[in-house]
Formats: sequence, C-alpha cells, structure tokens
Amino acid sequence: MSNRRMLALSLSGVLALAACSSGGGAATSAPSSAAPSESAAASGSASASAGGATDCTVAVSWNNYQQPRWAKNDQPNIKKTVEDGGGKYIDADANLSNEQQLTDINNLIGQGAKVLILLGQDTKAVLPGVQAAKDAGVKVIAYDRLVEDPDIFYITFDNVAVGKAEADAILKKVPEGNYVLIKGDPGDPNASTFLPQGWDDAGLKAAVDAKKITVLNMGGSEWPKDAGTYTDAWKTDKAQANMEAIIDKAVADGNKIDAILAENDSTAFGVAAALTSKNYGYPPLSGQDGDEANLQNVAAGIQYVDIWKNANELGKVAGATALEMCKGTDAASMSLPAGLVEASVAPTSPTPQDFTTPGGNTVKSYILQPTPITQENLNLVVDGGWITKDKLCEKASTGPTPAALCS
Amino acid sequence: MTNVADATPVPGQAQPPARTSLRDLIAQTEIDLRLFGMLIAFVLILITFNVISGGKFFSPNNMVTLAVQAAGIAIIATGMVLVIVSRNIDLSVGSLVGVIAMTYALLMTNILPDILGLPADFPFRWAIALAIGIALGAAIGALQGFIIAYIGVPSFIVTLGGLLSIRGIVWYLSSGAAVSGLDANFQLLGGGAQGSLGGPLTWALAVVGCIAIIALLISGRRQRRRFGFPVRPMWAEVLIGVVGCLIVVGVANFANNNFWPEGLADRVAAQQNWGPKPEGGWRIPAGLPNPLILLLGVTIVMTWLATRRRFGRYVYAYGGNPDAAELAGINTRREILKTYVLMGVLCALAAAIASARLNGATLDVGQSYELYVIAAAVVGGTSFAGGIGTIPGAVLGAFVLASLAYGLSFIGVNSPGQNVVAGIVLILAVGFDTLNRRRGTVGSSR
Amino acid sequence: MTAVAAPPIVEMRDINVAFGGVHAVRDVTIDLKAGEVVGLVGGNGAGKSTLMRVLSGARPADSGEILVDGKPVSITNPRDAKFYNIETIYQTLALADNVDAPGNVFLGREITTRLGSLDDSSMESETRKVMGRLNPNFTRFKMPVRTLSGGQRQAVAIARAVYFNAKVMIMDEPTAALGPAETSQVRNLIRQLKGEGIGIFLISHDIHDVFDLSDRISVMYHGQIVDTVAKDSVTPDEIVSMIILGKRPDEATEKELEQLELHT
Repeated sequence: MSNRRMLALSLSGVLALAACSSGGGAATSAPSSAAPSESAAASGSASASAGGATDCTVAVSWNNYQQPRWAKNDQPNIKKTVEDGGGKYIDADANLSNEQQLTDINNLIGQGAKVLILLGQDTKAVLPGVQAAKDAGVKVIAYDRLVEDPDIFYITFDNVAVGKAEADAILKKVPEGNYVLIKGDPGDPNASTFLPQGWDDAGLKAAVDAKKITVLNMGGSEWPKDAGTYTDAWKTDKAQANMEAIIDKAVADGNKIDAILAENDSTAFGVAAALTSKNYGYPPLSGQDGDEANLQNVAAGIQYVDIWKNANELGKVAGATALEMCKGTDAASMSLPAGLVEASVAPTSPTPQDFTTPGGNTVKSYILQPTPITQENLNLVVDGGWITKDKLCEKASTGPTPAALCS
Repeated sequence: MTNVADATPVPGQAQPPARTSLRDLIAQTEIDLRLFGMLIAFVLILITFNVISGGKFFSPNNMVTLAVQAAGIAIIATGMVLVIVSRNIDLSVGSLVGVIAMTYALLMTNILPDILGLPADFPFRWAIALAIGIALGAAIGALQGFIIAYIGVPSFIVTLGGLLSIRGIVWYLSSGAAVSGLDANFQLLGGGAQGSLGGPLTWALAVVGCIAIIALLISGRRQRRRFGFPVRPMWAEVLIGVVGCLIVVGVANFANNNFWPEGLADRVAAQQNWGPKPEGGWRIPAGLPNPLILLLGVTIVMTWLATRRRFGRYVYAYGGNPDAAELAGINTRREILKTYVLMGVLCALAAAIASARLNGATLDVGQSYELYVIAAAVVGGTSFAGGIGTIPGAVLGAFVLASLAYGLSFIGVNSPGQNVVAGIVLILAVGFDTLNRRRGTVGSSR
Repeated sequence: MTAVAAPPIVEMRDINVAFGGVHAVRDVTIDLKAGEVVGLVGGNGAGKSTLMRVLSGARPADSGEILVDGKPVSITNPRDAKFYNIETIYQTLALADNVDAPGNVFLGREITTRLGSLDDSSMESETRKVMGRLNPNFTRFKMPVRTLSGGQRQAVAIARAVYFNAKVMIMDEPTAALGPAETSQVRNLIRQLKGEGIGIFLISHDIHDVFDLSDRISVMYHGQIVDTVAKDSVTPDEIVSMIILGKRPDEATEKELEQLELHT
C-alpha cells in the first residue's frame, strides 16, 4: 500500500475510533449484534433457546451487554422465566450503538418476536425501532432504561428512588460538610437527570441552599447540570483520574472532603482507588449496582453504601410480563404472580401503575424497589444468592473497618 | 554523535563573522529545536493553569499526580514511535493493556494463590505476575508482528483485529466483572506515598543523573576531538551541563517536597515503632514515584535502542526508504517483528501501572489508550509518512496531553471540554510541525 | 598490445528471469574484465536493469550461472553480492533520506563497538575520508541526505560502493539526474575507478557517455543480447539502430535502416 493511502487509512481509522469512543458511547469491544446468551463462556452470536412449542418468542435488545450485571443477573432470569412459561428466548447486543440497535430490533422482529424487551441506548434515538415493532404488532417493554413512547411498558428499578437511597444514606451519615459529586456519562439520562433528582429528593439541594453542605466540585452555577464531575462512559479509570485531581484541588484549597456521592459502582471503584493511592482515608462513599468488587469494598469499610438492585427480580418481572403480553392480556388486567418477586424488592402493587416520563408520556409500569446495602445489612446480598460470603469477605480484613459479618 | 538531540548541523568551516542571532546561538548548542519548542509549550501550559488556579496548580503533590497519570501512556508511546517511524501502526495497545491488566488481577487474586498455591506472602509474587504479563505481551506482539512482517497483512488491519478480539477476550476472562485485591507489593508499582523512592534514594538518583549528564558531555567532546570533528563551543557545553543538572536536581527537590500524608505516617510510625512524632509533623519526603522511575528506565533504554543500536538504525532507515533498507541487505521483516514485540512488552509495563493504581482490573482498563498514545507520539514529532520521530519527543508529547487533561480536571472543566481541548492541541501541534518542515528550518530524525 | 588473458572478474552465463508472464531476461551471457567498462544499453524494458539486479542480488535469476574470478558463486540476496565485492549504485540511489551520509554509507554494514552498539564516530571519520576523495567540498556529514543536492547524493552512493573495496561496480543511469558540472565529475570518477582496476557495468541512455567511457558495449533488446562489440569497432548510429531494431546492422534490411533515417 502506498504511503499516502496508508496515511489516509490510518488517520480515518483513528478518527473513526475517536468518534465512537467519545461522549456517550465507549466500548468498541465485542462484535456487535452478538450477545452471549449463556453466561461467560458461551459463543458470541445471537442465540435462541430451545424453549417450548408455543409461539411466544420473547426478544431482548441489549444496549451494552458488556456490563457485568446483564449476563450474571438479568439475562438468566428473563430467560428462565420465559422458558418456564413455555416461551422462546432470543437476543442481540447493540454494543452502545444506536444504529446497531435499530438493526438488531429489525432482525429480532424478523425472527418472529412477539414481545420486545428493549434496553434503549437512547430514549429518543431508539424510537424508529419502537415504531417498527409496533407496526409489526410486537409489544414493547422498556427494560431498565426509559424509552420516550406512550405505548411502551416500563419495567425498571426506580432510578430516582436509587438516587434518593444513595443520598439518604450519605446525608444521614454526614448531614453537614464538604461533598464531592461524581456522576456518570453526561449523555445518559440516569446520570444527568434521574439520579440527581433522587439526590435532591433526599434533601441535597436543600442542604446546599441552607449552606449546610458545600459541593467542592461545582463546574458552574447551574443546578443540577453543573453540580459535580461527569465521567465519560462511566469509566473507572477516568473516574480515578478525575478524583485524583479533585483531591489535589481540595488539599490545595485546604478543604476536607467529608462525603462522596458517586452515582454507580464503576465510578465508585475508581474513586476508591484514588482515595487509596492518595492515602486520603475513606469518607462515606455511595454507589449502585452491587458489583462484586464494590460489595467487597463495603465489607472492608472502603465504600459506605451500595444501592443493590436485585436484577434477578427485575428479570423475573420482565419475563412474566412478556408471557402475559403473548397471551394478549391487557395491561390494566395484568397481575404479577404472588411470590414471584421478593417482597422488599417488589413493586408497590402487583398491577401495573402509571408512570409519567420526563417527556410527558404516561405509560404502564412496574417499578421495583432498590435495597441500600451497608455493613449493617450485608447479609441480604449473601442470602439473596447474589454473592458468596467467602467472595464478599475476601478483602475485608485488609480494609480500614471490616464488617462484622466477615470477622 | 552522542546525544539524541543532535541534529542541527555545526558548520565544518569557520563561521562567517556576521552578527550571531539567537537562532545561531541555539544552533551551536545542537539542541533539537523542535524538542526545545515542545518543552517551552509544556512549561507554558503549566504556567497557564497555575495562573488560572490562583497559584494552586503547581505544587509538588500535584505534579507527582500528573506524572503518574502520564506514565502509562508515555511508556507505550516510546514504542509507538518506532512502529510509526517504520510506516506501521498499532491500534491494539488499549486492548493489550486491558487483557494484561486483567491477567495480573486474576493471577494475583485467583491463579497464583488458589491454583498454584502461592500464598500472599510468597516473596516476589509480584515479580512472577509481572514476568508472566510481560511474556504474554511479547507473545501477542510477536503474533501480530509476524502476521504483519512475514505474511504481509497491513498493520492497520491486523492491529484493528487485535483491538476488537482482545477486548472481547477480556470479557470472557472476567465475565465482565471487576477483579480486585492485588498483591501489596505489586500495588507499589502504582505510585502513592509508599510506592515512591523516598528522600535519600531520590537525592542519590539526582546525583547519579547529574554525573551522567556531565560524563556524557565530556566523553562526547573527547570522542569528537579524537576524530578531529568540530566540537560545541565551551560555553554551550557548560550551559547544557549546568541546565541539565539544575533540572535533574530541581525535579528531585520537587519530588522530595511531596510529603507522606501525616495520617499514613502516623500509622506506619506506630507499626514500626519510630518513636515520638517530631514537632511540625513527620514530613517524610515521598520522592520520585515508582511509575516515573519505570518511565525513566524505559525512556533511557528505548532511546539507546533507537539511536545506538543497529535495530534502531534499521527501523529508521526502513521508514525513510524501505527499498534502500532491503537493498542494503537488512532483514527488514525481523526488525518490524521486533517493533511489535517491544510494543507488547511496553503494554505489559503500562498495564502493571494501571492495575496497580486501581488495585485490580476492570473491563475497560486501557480503553482508548491507542488514541492517546498515537496522539502523544504525533504531538512529539513523529510523522505518519515514516522515518521521522524521536522518543523523548513522544514522552514529552504524553506529558503535554496529560497536563492538559489533569489541569482541566483540576480547574473544574468537565470531560467534553477536555476532549475539545485535546483535539485542538493535537491539530495545532501537527500543523505547527508541518509548517516548520515546509520552511525547511528543522530536519531532525534522531 | 594484448596482455596474458586473465579470467573475467565476473561472468553471467545463460541467465533467465521471468515474472508476471514476461520473460524479462532471456539466455543472456555477458562478462566483465578488470579495469574495463562495459556499457549496457537498450530501450525501455530491454532487460538491462533486471539483468543487473540479478548480479546485485536484488532479484535472483530463475536459471543460469554467475562466476566471480572464474569460480561459480551463488548470489541470492544483496549481502551475497557485497560479499563478492560487487557493489551497486541504483538509479534511485537507494539512500535512506532521513539518515545522514555516514549512516547511508555503512547501511547494513555498520561499524560497531565491542558491545555491539553503533560506532558513529568511526563511521563518520571513515566517511569523511572517502568523501574527501570524491567530493572534497562536502561538509554536511550530520544532515539527513534528503537535504543534499542531487550530485552530493550521488557522491554518497558512490562513496558507499568505493569504500567497501568493490571489484565490480554496477552503475544504473548515474548521470540521468545530474547537471553538466556534476555529470563531468562522475565521468572523471569512472575513469579514475577504471584506472584502479575496478570493472564497471554502466547502464546509460546517453550514447555520448557510453561511447566516451566504455571499452565494450552490449546492446539488449527484449531480454536478449543483440551483440557485444568493442567500442572502436562500431559507430553510435549503428548502436542506435541495434537498440531500436534489435538486430545487428548487417542483419537489418535496407528498408528498416531507411526508416530510421540514419546515415550509414
């Protein structure tokens, strides 16, 4: 290949990679439109389960199968619930690409899906796919991630409630002082809207206005837009680098960091690493998702609270709802089977409730309850089969304040 | 020719007696003008951030943070120079770092203790893990290098395939979960107060560095005299020696003004029975952080390889004119293969720093590294046309980019803003360099 | 006066090279004596460069033999050729533009220190000596050769060949890109090398140069040797007609010669 062509090819490749790894989307990893539908060691193609002979095909369109929780928790539960009910399970992964997701949805419809369980990469960009599904008579469940369409069924953990639980726990521990706010990807509505709303529901803004709490890393004066530091693609090492700079600034300014509100576990992990490398000590730190490494940090006293969303239960609810939809049951007459879902996690009512989206749509929904996990109730994650006690307590003894459960 | 910075010619005949401009004076020191310009730019960036932050930016603690954040990218960039110089590219470095970091994490939390039965206090457990990581990096690098050099598939394609497939493998290794809890000794590779050289060793290193600079200057001059070549004017030699020593000692002093957090010192003092706390606190100097020492070693070795060994000469010659290299009887395929093996090893070192810093590994460690590394090399003067680029330049380029990221974080500019600035700087740096070359004023290769 | 016939310093016998469906060199036999210049001429695609690339090791022949000082040798890569003291100055010069003059002179054959590192000072010193013989005004030893003029670059390429005690030199279009002054310098150099007993294969389009410098002239046409003649036994026009027609003058018809509009 001649010089110039090599040069042009290299540069365009580099630019293409830059385009896909900036801003909202980051992972350029596993081949797209492929989601292993067994856990860990499976093949990488969209697969189908050998379910029963009924024609209830339930399709899942993942937006980012790369994150740990989906393969470990959501997918097995959706699949099992669907197959136990005599249905067939198929799926595809969009690898953080809106365009890929539209292709995936079309493929899944083509494979005969009756119900589409959709994790929309973007609430609005996915709408053409939703329309295509509706046109084909396919019912759509928006799973965990919101879709701005009046006809979808929204099954999720209450993300606002998650934020509220995070801030509740931290505010109770540190009602006054200097706070650092670490947010996720700026393009993700969870990061920019829902979780911060929950923080404010717990009283964060009120405390700031009353001058009881000072946010050290304000990027401007607009609330909540400028409150805190965003982390591209929720990346751990970016969170680590940002936190190191924030610690340096705080030290330079002579401010003590009294508490850190991190929106999720992957960013909290990076924050914890920054605190460790700077030997700063461990002010109360929040997170969500119940990632193994973070639960270990909770057990060790490095992270204060982790909002656990028992995604096993979420998968069960979605599977059950999809089966009902296949039968043609109207949303208003649906009811969750008793005992399907753990009581503390279950929606407040077994019948679907109305939910008003930020975009003004009113949709039917099942909103599940998150469980804040601190050292006091660590046993819940063990009892719930989420993590083994041995794994949970691996690092506890080397931490600043090991949990009682682990000693 | 002792100094990689040598490039501007010294006239063999007597100078015309006209007025000596600043440019002539600089030319007489034989310092690479481009490298010098980048150093100025770096200093300007630091000054700018210092002014914006009201004097808080430029402190020993912060500069150490910056250096540690830059180290990983800089290490890989030294190898990327040779790859780009020989008209190739390596897009797989980010994924390579990811898979090796995950390997370190799994080795130390899982395989070494559980499967091989090596307990946590097994001596040099960290070294075993590191050796395995380096071997893994070299092996993957050799595989890619073989396909590129001996089978002839374009490097863009091969390393792009590497980027995709290796990142996928990381997922399978870890089931997507973060792995944490590394060896305590391994963690020291990531820097931090205890992962630094400490006061006395840092001073010792500074003295060694200063002596080395002076020794190099003296031996270089002597060598030239012996062959009857023109030498630098004495004032230039003295100037370089003095400035070099000042910089080395200054950096050491700066690092030694970075003290251990008092809380940590208290804890260790209690553990090791140091006795009563002196008035004014322990004030234990942390010194140069380990990642920076690693970077220093890598830079010295890579520069030596590139300028003093046939390997480097052949890589640059191939980049300048592949045909000429072949006709000169150089085994060009073997040299290209070596550049990729080197990349694998460097990625293993950078992965060690990254995972040590995290005390674990996540799915996305190293993601997008290839962009930063290529940008660092290019900002540092490496050209995609081949044959042009220096290793110290790439290290400096990495520091320039890292200082922008860190500085913007420090003053509170969020990531979208950081990306905009990084992109603009990249274009400016390359544009400036291209203009300069057009004017024919600068023409260095080594 | 004829001296005792020494064997030719290099002989190529029955050389064949074919690639891509083209039989570029066809049963060519050619030889060269010490202190002799053999001019190799022919139209584009006649096979001159390919034939010389066989001798220089850049491209092995498909069949045929090469003999150095009467003994058969195997030349499969450039290193082999250099081992037998066959040095080549390519039409493109084959210099690495970003490397300086000493680096190019010693490319692939660097002087190393005991530890195996490059001994740049020795290489520079040796280059200064050899360049001093070829181009005493040359001073830019530390600049990349891309900054040198065409003649200076040519001098570096020649220095490389001269330094390593070439016994046979292949020069492919050495004056094609040079101005008159530099061309005359190269011509003088060739005479000088001839006087030192070095044998030279000279490929050139310039008939004037060929006649000025060669002792014998070989004409190639479509991969074959038309004829090899002593310079004194032939006129430039006859050479030109051989190049164009591919036949010896005595084999060409009247009509063909007329078409060339030459005076015989």
